Amino acid sequence: MTVPLILAVPAKGRLQENAEAFFGRAGLPLIKPRGARDYRGAVAGLDGIEVAYLSASEITSQLAQGAVHLGVTGEDLVREQMPDADKRVVLIEALGFGHANVVVAVPQAWIDVRTMADVDDVATAFRHTHGRKMRVATKYINLTRDFFSRHGVIDYRIVESAGATEGAPAAGTAELIVDITTTGTTLAANALKIVEDGTILRSQANLVAARGAEWGGPQRELARVILDRIAAQARARAFREVRARFAGCDTKLVDEAREKFAIETPFGGPTSSGMLTLHCPPTQVYPLTGFLRERGAEAVSVAELDYVFSKDNPLYAKLEAGL
Amino acid sequence: MLDARRDKDMDATTAQTKDTRAEALVASYERAGYARVQPAILQPAEPFLDLSGEDIRKRMFLTASPNGEELCLRPDLTIPVSRDYLASGTAGKPASYCYLGPVFRHRANGPAEFLQAGIESFGRADKAAADAEMLALGLEATAHYGLAEPDIQIGDVALFAALISALDLPAAWKRRLVKDFNRKANLAQDLDRLTLGGSNGRPEYQGVLAALAGSDPKGAQRLVTDLLSIAGITAVGGRSVGEIADRFLEQSALGASTKLPREVRGLIERFLSIQGEPDDAAAELRALALEAQMKNALDPALDLFENRAGFLAAHGVDLKRLRFSTAFGRGFDYYTGFVFEITDPKGSSEPLVAGGRYDGLLARLGAAEAISAVGFAVWIERLAGGAA
Repeated sequence: MTVPLILAVPAKGRLQENAEAFFGRAGLPLIKPRGARDYRGAVAGLDGIEVAYLSASEITSQLAQGAVHLGVTGEDLVREQMPDADKRVVLIEALGFGHANVVVAVPQAWIDVRTMADVDDVATAFRHTHGRKMRVATKYINLTRDFFSRHGVIDYRIVESAGATEGAPAAGTAELIVDITTTGTTLAANALKIVEDGTILRSQANLVAARGAEWGGPQRELARVILDRIAAQARARAFREVRARFAGCDTKLVDEAREKFAIETPFGGPTSSGMLTLHCPPTQVYPLTGFLRERGAEAVSVAELDYVFSKDNPLYAKLEAGL
Repeated sequence: MLDARRDKDMDATTAQTKDTRAEALVASYERAGYARVQPAILQPAEPFLDLSGEDIRKRMFLTASPNGEELCLRPDLTIPVSRDYLASGTAGKPASYCYLGPVFRHRANGPAEFLQAGIESFGRADKAAADAEMLALGLEATAHYGLAEPDIQIGDVALFAALISALDLPAAWKRRLVKDFNRKANLAQDLDRLTLGGSNGRPEYQGVLAALAGSDPKGAQRLVTDLLSIAGITAVGGRSVGEIADRFLEQSALGASTKLPREVRGLIERFLSIQGEPDDAAAELRALALEAQMKNALDPALDLFENRAGFLAAHGVDLKRLRFSTAFGRGFDYYTGFVFEITDPKGSSEPLVAGGRYDGLLARLGAAEAISAVGFAVWIERLAGGAA
């Protein structure tokens, strides 16, 4: 019996919903044959894949150890938990959800602090005034240490915080924090502000491959299928299909449209009967249809695409290059 | 089969030789009057993180006690020996210790557990003599392992501190320059930034700073209080309104156009370029102090420097073989004076023996008053490897 390809997916919350929706759109619906409470699942219609539902942080450590092949997790966790991330994993594709920035935030009352240079100065002054180092509450110990070191800040101590980090300054357990934020609302509610050049990482959910997992022929073949569908779906989402047929349609006109609207011609130029199929970025659809009608097209149809499969498989190529 | 057994025997013999040799070194330190101590291997992590900085965290073996106290395997022996001395009841009185034992650090090359020997000397008032004795005892270690002519790099952190404190500069700038002494890239950046002007590119502060111009600390505090209440901010968090006001005052005193005068920058850079044999360097530093009218400020540090050189000569150390540099600092912030590193001229640049004076450390570990302290550590495997 061959080892299945293990795909780790977040086990709860919005990340799980977004990840399931993402795979669903890519034609890889995740199913739980043994019921909704099960933490093991499968991909409908594709044998040999085991879906493991884990917490995002556990997904990261399993990827680091090579215990799962592919996983959906935040770049923030990858960078924090793996100092040598590029040796252990390949970040295959940013998935467009789970956006969060890892930022340095200080009390709003520190009206004299706007930049990391201020934080540095205040940290040194703080040690002289209080006889101890300023405390930074965070769960991002490695990211914080590297970022502070890059900015020359040395007079600080890290206080590990597992949750509700933004409450630490008010509770008196730390002077400032490093935490994730999406909108900044929680920080503001806790009377904190983001340091201007204090954004450590702009993170989002990524599809990540473990370099240390067992990548035999069957696993590679499954990964190729999965990544082919994801790439086909990603490409489909980036374009609309625009079709028209008219006599005046020639290569020169297509070149002009390509220039103006960043279109692609998946099936080449117009056919002998003047039939034309274009892929157009969504924002350019209306200008393009105007352009075509001005030049003689009587009707232009526009449709959403489900998949655009192409000969090459850029995501799988990325994975293979990294293994 | 036979070969394997012989290898195993050889390994055992090598290990034993290594230990016997290191034991003999420490025995010689004991005969010189240094009491042998064996601090606990498991230590609270806090003092190491606090004194060496967060950067050491990634190299430490950390664990936690059941009640949540952060513990570590000792990454060096200076702090453990210092803590035991403080707890011993003789704290404040002169005491001299030597040690030999394993320390634990994640390293890119080599095993994470390795042997260190060393000496820590506390409470001695005759600092120049104590400093010189440390280097002499350090050189005994390299000689013990058959390295007759090692490279010896020395520095003196107190000289830079004396220079900066004598300069007519705002307190904030002095803090910054002293802090960055151990990070030369940052120091160069600081000098660039300060030469360009302290408040360049900070127009957002100009309103507050203008309003503060000429006010006293109380007035500044009132203004900051008002600003906070206008903005509807009640919780201050960590720093007091007074501290925020003081920092604004400091910056207001710097003024929009204050710059580090070119001649001061020139002085700092010239100072940091002085290096060579101790006698020549001392003469150069004396001349620089005279020229910059800082004789009184630099004299005490320079006197100590020259006294120390005298004691080193008395220990039979050839001063011509010492490479002194004003910019040499060893990268640790707890050194306050003499620092040195002994390396193998034919080996890597990694120190075989390294140490220095750390007069501020015991107070930061909780001593009621400052206690003078100086010491060094010996990397046994590096020495044994080089000798073999």
